[in-house]
Amino acid sequence: MSNLEEPQTMDVVMELIVHSGNAKSIGMEALDASKQGDFLLARQKLEEADQELLVAHQAQTSLLKQEASGQTIFVSLLMVHGQDHLMNAITFLDLARELVEVYQNMKLAAKG
Amino acid sequence: MGDEKIRILLVCSAGMSTSLLMEKMQHSAQDRGINAEVMAMSSTEADKFLKKEHVDVLLLGPQVRYMKKKYEKALAKTDIPLAVIDMKDYGKMNGEKVLDAALQLVNAGK
Repeated sequence: MSNLEEPQTMDVVMELIVHSGNAKSIGMEALDASKQGDFLLARQKLEEADQELLVAHQAQTSLLKQEASGQTIFVSLLMVHGQDHLMNAITFLDLARELVEVYQNMKLAAKG
Repeated sequence: MGDEKIRILLVCSAGMSTSLLMEKMQHSAQDRGINAEVMAMSSTEADKFLKKEHVDVLLLGPQVRYMKKKYEKALAKTDIPLAVIDMKDYGKMNGEKVLDAALQLVNAGK
């Protein structure tokens, strides 16, 4: 039996996928808000997204810890996919933060 | 519902985690004697598919919640119900519950 079939590893991988995806979705909402000019909401959303990323990161850390303690973790395609979601969310949120600022500067420039 | 096959489409970014859920839902339908076809696709595949084929319900993985708006627009002229799969059910890959949710949406539209 592969480790993937062990419910524990599977759960952690699903945590990675779901929370990373949540972070990205909320980041998208932050961009929507800033497009509408609601920068307060945009910042709230970015913070919310960070919280989701934190949860995903905790899942990731638990896997890393397991491996560091000498337990071999079976790397399935789904596991790689979960990592992919996490990386994607991190990159997306980094850029989303920048974009919110760009929108805000654009609005300021239009006023001035 | 008669003998008509219920077609359930699951969509996520790569169609990967949804394909696991698809298996579970398909099993659950079989166990319960429900005539259902569950499909899992990436959003790009789904866009093409929906242009040609009919489905009875479309469910989005919670990780691609941000696509909901896009699909609301795409499905506006159809009567295909759309929902985001519950995060907990998705995380636990609970095919049973997600199947229930899908059937409820289909029935509500009838």
